[in-house]
Amino acid sequence: MIQFILNGQAVQTEVDPNTPLLWVVRDHFKLKGSKFGCGAGLCGACTMHVNGAALKTCVTPIAAAANKSITTIEGLGTPEDLHPLQAAWHEHAVPQCGYCQSGQIMAAAALLDANPNPSSDEIDAAMAGNICRCGCYPRIKRAIQSVSENALAYDAMSQTEGRA
Amino acid sequence: MNTVNVSRRSFLQASAVAGGGLVVGVAFTGCSSTSEPLPVASTEGAWTPNAFIQVLPDNTIRFYTARSEMGQGVTTGLATLVGEELDVNPFDMDICFAGVHEDYANPLFGMQGTGGSTSIRAHYTQLRQAGANTRALILEAAARDLGLATSSLTTDNGYVLAGEARHPYSDFIAMAQSLTIEANAPLKAAADFQFIGRESRRVDAIAKATGTAQFGIDIDIPDLHYAVVVRAPVAGTKVRSVEASAARGMPGVTNVLEIGNGVAVVAESFWQAKQAAAQVQVDWNTGALGQFDTDTLRADYTAALDAGDGVEGPDEGNVEEALSAASTVHEAEYWAPLLAHAPMEPMNATVRIDGERAEVWTGIQFPFAVPAIVSRVAGIPAENVQFHQTYLGGGFGRRGAVNYLIEAAEIAVYSAKPVQLVWTREDDIQQGPFRPASLMRIKAGADADGNLTAWDAARAGGNISPDSLRTLLPAAFPWMGDIVAEGVAQLSEIYFKKFATDNSSTEGLFEDYDHANTRVTHMTVDHGLPLTFWRSVGHSYTAFAKESMIDEMAEAADIDEIAFRLQNTQNSPRLNNVIRVAGEQMAKMNPPEGHHLGFAAHNSFLTDVAEIAEVSVKNGKIQVHKVTCVLDCGQAVNPDIVRAQVEGGVVYGLTAALYGGLNLERGTIKESNFHDYPMLRMNESPEIEVIIIDSGTEPTGVGEPGLPPIAPAVANAVYKATGQRLRSLPLQLA
Repeated sequence: MIQFILNGQAVQTEVDPNTPLLWVVRDHFKLKGSKFGCGAGLCGACTMHVNGAALKTCVTPIAAAANKSITTIEGLGTPEDLHPLQAAWHEHAVPQCGYCQSGQIMAAAALLDANPNPSSDEIDAAMAGNICRCGCYPRIKRAIQSVSENALAYDAMSQTEGRA
Repeated sequence: MNTVNVSRRSFLQASAVAGGGLVVGVAFTGCSSTSEPLPVASTEGAWTPNAFIQVLPDNTIRFYTARSEMGQGVTTGLATLVGEELDVNPFDMDICFAGVHEDYANPLFGMQGTGGSTSIRAHYTQLRQAGANTRALILEAAARDLGLATSSLTTDNGYVLAGEARHPYSDFIAMAQSLTIEANAPLKAAADFQFIGRESRRVDAIAKATGTAQFGIDIDIPDLHYAVVVRAPVAGTKVRSVEASAARGMPGVTNVLEIGNGVAVVAESFWQAKQAAAQVQVDWNTGALGQFDTDTLRADYTAALDAGDGVEGPDEGNVEEALSAASTVHEAEYWAPLLAHAPMEPMNATVRIDGERAEVWTGIQFPFAVPAIVSRVAGIPAENVQFHQTYLGGGFGRRGAVNYLIEAAEIAVYSAKPVQLVWTREDDIQQGPFRPASLMRIKAGADADGNLTAWDAARAGGNISPDSLRTLLPAAFPWMGDIVAEGVAQLSEIYFKKFATDNSSTEGLFEDYDHANTRVTHMTVDHGLPLTFWRSVGHSYTAFAKESMIDEMAEAADIDEIAFRLQNTQNSPRLNNVIRVAGEQMAKMNPPEGHHLGFAAHNSFLTDVAEIAEVSVKNGKIQVHKVTCVLDCGQAVNPDIVRAQVEGGVVYGLTAALYGGLNLERGTIKESNFHDYPMLRMNESPEIEVIIIDSGTEPTGVGEPGLPPIAPAVANAVYKATGQRLRSLPLQLA
């Protein structure tokens, strides 16, 4: 039996320990927000946070998640309580087909947790593992930049100035 | 009441005949006696005035969208059209994907399908009229119920305003149901639009940003089993023998069965099915395709072009004479390879057969085909097949080819379980159907003033129409039966080889420029690879040939690339204007040292697009820094989605231009996943600026037209940077 934390809840499973984390989360815990894209760790549609770091879970055996804390897109925010990145995705009309976006947002969230004020090149480097066939890259970048510390500080400043 | 209660159908017919832009007589032609009830949610007390709109007792305004949402933003666009005239904000609507019904036909296709960048223009008048007529009925009902003059009432986002009082639309359901509409309500003038043409977000962005949007692969129903198919290394090959005892003994496996396209492994989870599929040994009956390599394709196309023995397409004037009289003559040959679509969501379909009834969940571009396909496979009546459309995780034409649904139905029938078939990424890259490879030759002539006088264009390759007919004919005409449908498909192969060009094979190769003498020839060379539509279809390769050739001709005639294009598009005023505006943008650009600008312009799906690519070449690597796009697509219903579609078309086309190419080795596709069939990633993605020319005309296509100009724009920039004229895709420097 393998125990881990899934979106803050202690859970356990008896599946074959070689089963990828992605399929355990999707088929056994019925959280369908994380996607299957390539099955080879090449596209990032399956990205989740494992102890806070972005990881491609279609090639991560569930055994490797034992006793770790897993966060999926469902754990990041909900339609009623959006994570700032999810709000930015709406504000910048980022998604097209939307299939890769859970993975994109999880990769972006891990980036901003580690580096709240990334440069354009740092965003490129952090997001290069996530493919979007609809070509939403310019908007993804814009949405990430809008949530970065500098942008938020700038917003706060301009609002303060507006009131003054 | 003193008016007659009209049927929904005659209401819709009234809507359909309005508005000059609508193709009348296609959308609502069925006779009501054979019409099935609409597949809409039945809610006690709800009013369903037509196939698209439902008013619920709690004043929820529900919109049933008939077009497949594959990222192109059509859900937002169509809801905007209805909401504009119904006076309901699209973001306040409850939007549902429609089931299968003739009322949901694409007015331009005559059947329920999404593609060809048609949706907005096809529904532009129809859906506004449906909204306007519904609002008119609500106003009339409110006037009667409140005892006020209709002229004293107005509406605001789902409410009737009577002086200070706000009454929800739903208050008037009972009265509205008893009324008829005698003439179409007038449509708003563009100046009065509140949603159309205004900036807004997408109605599906929050669902897609929170992982709550449901794609086909996310469907979960009781006792669902998962299937993976072991497929032939050579597409279209049949099974000779199977050894599956090891697979059968693996955990979770419930069935291993032979289907038309291979051997299906059914298990309790996808992972178990995939693991077991790897243990199945199949001996394949490989046919002629098993002898071919990529080089065979190109050599055979070259031989066909050399022989010159093709089918004549458009033929105007006398090309031979014009070429001998021309001051400048130039000829070149262009190659475009086989491509896979690679949408992010691998193909999948979920089918449950329960006695004489079936349910299907999938994301598909041609819902009309679903009942007929499942009916034929399962041997049950088509009207017993219930279809649930989901979001499509990308389409790009791939989800118009229905083989994944046929397979899922076969597996569900023979395994007697509810089944979700999932293609692996390897299946997706290797099995097709593919964008056909093409070899194109253009010989052009111009007079001493640089006016094009002759355009002699030829293309060799496969045609996509026969394969489309093969899969869709039996669905469109169930009386045909498989054998007749296959016969028709084979006849179409002969027809396109011997008698007429398949329009999608040559579209875009010759139409845009003024040349009095034009000849188009097509050589069908078919090696048996399955082929289908790929975003922008023929334009995806013809624009590369045509716009490279135009650049080469401009240089040969010693005329500036913009001036040459302007001079030679006098008969295409909208394209000419787009080129002019883009040329002005280009003139203002001041690229840094080592960066070069390439230009291309193309008309596809009735929309004119020009693109300027800013490119540098370092150590043999092509880098695209910025792309500026100028387009005229008529009325932009949602300008931000138009921009997103053009951005997406550029990235999709740039992926193909820089990396795209499948290679055959003895009939097997060598590439298999994103490591060897690479996609453009964020670090390689250019900045993209989109400029929409507001021409005030009716909408034209948007989903595809952004793609065709990007490959030639980059190739033309690479020529400036290096002096190398790259005439083969993907673009690779010597």
